[in-house]
Amino acid sequence: MSKTKISIEEVKRLAGLSALEFSEEELSAFIPEFEAMLELVDEVKNCDTGEAQLNYTTHLLSECREDEAKESFPQEEILLNSPKTKKGSFCVPKMLD
Amino acid sequence: MDIGKLSLIELAKAISEQKLTSYEVTKYYIERCQEKSDLNALLEIFDDSLDRASEMDEKIKGGFKGKLAGVPVIIKDNILYKGKKASCSSRFLENYVAQYNSTVVQKMLDEGAIIIARANMDEFAMGSSTENSAYGVTKNALDPSRVPGGSSGGSACAVAAGLAPVALGTDTGGSIRQPCSYNGVVGIKPTYGRVSRYGVVAFASSIEQVGPITKNVKDNAYMLSVLAGGSIHDETSLKVEVPDYLSYIKGDIKGLKVGVLKEIEEAVKGLEVEKSYKEAVKFLKDNGAEIVEVSIPDFKLTLPCYYIIAPAEATSNLGRFDGVKYSRRSAEAKDVDEIYVKSRSEGFGKEVKRRIMLGNFVLSSGYFDAYYNKAKKLQQKLIAESKKAFENCDVLVLPTTAGEAFKIGAKGGDPVEMYKEDLFTIMANILGTPALSLPFGKGESGLPLGLQIVADRLNEGLIYNVADFIENNGGDYARV
Repeated sequence: MSKTKISIEEVKRLAGLSALEFSEEELSAFIPEFEAMLELVDEVKNCDTGEAQLNYTTHLLSECREDEAKESFPQEEILLNSPKTKKGSFCVPKMLD
Repeated sequence: MDIGKLSLIELAKAISEQKLTSYEVTKYYIERCQEKSDLNALLEIFDDSLDRASEMDEKIKGGFKGKLAGVPVIIKDNILYKGKKASCSSRFLENYVAQYNSTVVQKMLDEGAIIIARANMDEFAMGSSTENSAYGVTKNALDPSRVPGGSSGGSACAVAAGLAPVALGTDTGGSIRQPCSYNGVVGIKPTYGRVSRYGVVAFASSIEQVGPITKNVKDNAYMLSVLAGGSIHDETSLKVEVPDYLSYIKGDIKGLKVGVLKEIEEAVKGLEVEKSYKEAVKFLKDNGAEIVEVSIPDFKLTLPCYYIIAPAEATSNLGRFDGVKYSRRSAEAKDVDEIYVKSRSEGFGKEVKRRIMLGNFVLSSGYFDAYYNKAKKLQQKLIAESKKAFENCDVLVLPTTAGEAFKIGAKGGDPVEMYKEDLFTIMANILGTPALSLPFGKGESGLPLGLQIVADRLNEGLIYNVADFIENNGGDYARV
């Protein structure tokens, strides 16, 4: 079984998807670590799942609550943890010119 | 009365009968927390604890009854308690203050609990040693040169060191049971959905649960009866009746069918835990249980299956930390994209970043079918295999960990070695079954080892009966 190899370009692509930035050194250090992790998870890629059907839920049973309008959290409380707010809204730098 | 020697149940009784006040009990435990600060088990002792204890004493005098009336409790730092910080031991959430109570906190408060502190953990519950905390490693309560396990290392250490009669942990792949094994205490990961996850910061939503960590099995059963139960805020929590788990404890295991997994017999060979695991099986047999060999043929794949499902879900769950809504924003960020990237890069630790990257790998186009969908199919296959095993036995026994607590720093350089820490515990998370760890036997340095009792879904009662029997009749093996 061939090992999954990972390139520096792949690591950079994943960093982009992850919204994370790394130094060149950190990126290179990722490669052997990542390959070891992939070796571990490749056992699943290569296993036989037989007749098993894909199912995203494993719940025993669960029920949805009634869709009733209820009081929610006060706006000012929700904003308390935001690093920057303005006039009752989350504040970010200008996005459109 | 020696407060430190009383069990949770005894303490609750003494306070409710007004033989002890909540104030004196809470004061005792807070002083204990302060004395033992070297362990770094706690991130914060709540400074209003004594006031709340006094108020509770007044309520008790006025006739208030509650299962935890006046009893001090410690919570893991990823469980929300309104008005208090919940940082998940991350720099990202350094200043995050909970705006509402998690269901488990609300249930405890309704029963009169005094929540006195928040406990250290691996950042966002990702780790098996508490070394991934942004606030320093917690030390093992029995040997400070060793790790307490993780990710609920602070909670398990706190109970073992006598900082509270009970603490809450969360368990995504063994994060309650492994630290309990390492500190010589008792912890359960309940059936998936048995306890509501509302207000518990999500890591891998489809497999994690909150559970109690206590010094003995009866206290654990008592506590789970408080925590269990569905919530309208958590669609995955089960709206089924919560039994009195203590009522399942009969003091007898005659005729009980105990399953030993063929795959475990193989996996324990040569491990430190081998001898005590075999002694445990023998002990159960000698005491009237029927030992049945059963099989979950794909047991060995539970670990890699977990390392696909858990990072995939973590990647999605941690997507919310964008530098806009929660706590941290990078001072360097000049535009919106930089807010995301720089805030996350500064705020998350190494292991969290590693798992986000791995999660994105298994979810990204071209790999989604090969990894994520395959893992979800494998999970169904494993569930079917376990159903078959449980047709022939009432409970399964398996070790909690390969050996005793390892030295701080010993596994720092190799993430995969660290992941293997959860070899025996992950199965219950993948299957959604309940699993409890209790001390059984000693390792090479005389530190405790753990034994796991696993049952089919919603059979926590069966587990408590077996565990209590072992605890009370296991002699030196069951003694820490």
